[in-house]
Amino acid sequence: MPTLFKMENIIEDITTQEYEHGFVTDVEQEFIPKGLNEDIIRLISSKKNEPEWLLEFRLKAFRKWQTMPVPKWAHLDIPEIDFQDIIYYAAPKKESDRPKEIDPELMKTFDKLGIPLSEREVLAGVKAAEETQSSSNVAVDAVFDSVSVKTTFRKALSEKGIIFCSFSEAVQEHPDLVRKYLATVVPAGDNFYSALNSAVFSDGSFCYIPKGVRCPMELSSYFRINAKGTGQFERTLIIADEGSYVSYMEGCTAPMRDENQLHAAVVEIIVEKDADVKYSTVQNWYPGDAQGKGGIFNFVTKRGICKGSGSHLSWTQVETGSAITWKYPSTILKGDNSSSEFYSVAVTNNYQQADTGTKMIHAGRNTRSRIVSKGISAGHSQNSYRGLVKMLPGADNARNYSQCDSLLIGDKCGAHTFPVIENSNRTATVEHEATTSKISEDQLFYCNQRGIGPEEAVGLIVNGYAQEVLAKLPMEFAVEARKLLSVSLEGSIG
Amino acid sequence: MHKLYVIKPGAAMPEIPSRFAIEAGESLDMTIVVMPGVSCELPLAVELLGEGAQANLYGVYVCGTEEKVNISVNLSHKVGHCNSNQIFKGIAGGKSHVSFDGRIVVAPDAQKTEAYQSNHNILLSDDARVDTRPQLEIYADDVKCSHGATVGRLNEDEQFYMRSRGITLKEARTLQMISFVHPALQGIEDEDLRESLASEIEDAIRSIL
Repeated sequence: MPTLFKMENIIEDITTQEYEHGFVTDVEQEFIPKGLNEDIIRLISSKKNEPEWLLEFRLKAFRKWQTMPVPKWAHLDIPEIDFQDIIYYAAPKKESDRPKEIDPELMKTFDKLGIPLSEREVLAGVKAAEETQSSSNVAVDAVFDSVSVKTTFRKALSEKGIIFCSFSEAVQEHPDLVRKYLATVVPAGDNFYSALNSAVFSDGSFCYIPKGVRCPMELSSYFRINAKGTGQFERTLIIADEGSYVSYMEGCTAPMRDENQLHAAVVEIIVEKDADVKYSTVQNWYPGDAQGKGGIFNFVTKRGICKGSGSHLSWTQVETGSAITWKYPSTILKGDNSSSEFYSVAVTNNYQQADTGTKMIHAGRNTRSRIVSKGISAGHSQNSYRGLVKMLPGADNARNYSQCDSLLIGDKCGAHTFPVIENSNRTATVEHEATTSKISEDQLFYCNQRGIGPEEAVGLIVNGYAQEVLAKLPMEFAVEARKLLSVSLEGSIG
Repeated sequence: MHKLYVIKPGAAMPEIPSRFAIEAGESLDMTIVVMPGVSCELPLAVELLGEGAQANLYGVYVCGTEEKVNISVNLSHKVGHCNSNQIFKGIAGGKSHVSFDGRIVVAPDAQKTEAYQSNHNILLSDDARVDTRPQLEIYADDVKCSHGATVGRLNEDEQFYMRSRGITLKEARTLQMISFVHPALQGIEDEDLRESLASEIEDAIRSIL
């Protein structure tokens, strides 16, 4: 039958489709030896020319980490990780002078990442940010393996008093701010992977928005793991002072390799009185091949605190990549009348595993939170939502609403929901709902009948299903996210 | 056959089996009522082993002093074409601590499963605490599963409505709580038995206010 023949072709095309960001950039790299011990930590610290207190912080975290067991509570099957077999620091070789032209390899990388032309030159360090006349309103901090390559638009931002730079620069130039806020939301010993990160973190982004300033552009970090046998341990610190506003986006990609690479980041966000922070992630690390070989282990600790009254923190995430995801962006609602939201779409296909969700800890009066989580599992994947909503005795009139929906595509995958609700305040209200279903055959039939192929129809239905979350993404990300959703699910039906 | 277990102070603790294996075409219908003044652990494991098996579990708990009530339900759909339905409703006052763990597991290939669970709680005092952990673990795709859990307070608009019609606040609250737990008694088919249990629960609610 000709139609069948065509179908098979499509399926074959799609199942052999490669991970689009799976290229390796051949730039000269500087490595430190494999393994983890106090000497390695001292070496990383000295390479970054860090003050004594930061080295002490790292060593303390390392000693704590050595005493901690590997967490096993997640609904994940994690192979044993040899922490001595990882290179903890890799950097593209720096030249003392600014290069005369863009390293063609680096240029290609940016090209493939889809970074706008005007920003590429700035990122590559050929032009200073102020020289480019760009219509773009996104400032980018690109982190390549262990170092931040370049941060754009620093001058334009600094006119408003906004500090947006790599974490290492912040340590050199604003040590007081870093010291004041570092590890105040995620203590070094908070969990196994945050302790590891605190010991070996290499770079990341630092952002400070002063009192009453509304950040005029989207701030963005782009993380890329490039070198083989390395792990990426970035650290992000965002501080929004009284009455300020910032929208922050984060994206990530990695080459295709047979080995598993570790990514253990820590993100801390401090939201002062009446400030508003919007944090968006599109996570697209290499998920491994169709047989489940290779891929990134994404073990991330993200937490924000709504410190002052009336503050607001919003998390939006689209998770399509990584072999294993272990990630719970959380908010501590300390200030009275503060509020927080968590919007998530997590897609798993083939042999991917994801255990992701959020924690909302209500401490202040009249605090509000909302959780909307959409899980989509296909292939042989396992997708779990895990969440905690906690009402402390002081959380008078606090409210939470959670909604977790799971969509199953195929009969070999799993979808799980593990919410925990703890309420010890009689005026606080917590509501949780979860549903699990599959794409209805009626919907598929409707599309097919109108000439929309099965793959396209699934993409369409899934996009509609995730619409509520996608609508919360900044425009620059929404387009990419929609495309990603369709690509991630290709080959899952037929 | 419907089973009813009432746990109350001064009476012997009824012997509730902790494991139920339900074969094809069989049905488990059970209601458990926990009255104020008793602390208890209720671990229930239900396995649906044959096609067409059904489980309907209902629970009511009323706590007003220092009770500790732990209910954990592990409902396992081992094969397809089975239905399960759970409704647990509770009131926590005084210094009581209620915890509810409800797990639904749908095994691979247990297609055409329908599983529903709800757990609703009202907190009456500042020292009471409710923890609820509904969980879904699903390994088959052609299923309809949902759970809902809430922990909250009595609706003040309803109270205002009643008070503006001459009903005292205390009476209004009592009425609200009676109607709140009532859906969990729907499993009792014998009308007289249901009525007498409902009035026993009403007395219990009045005793903790």
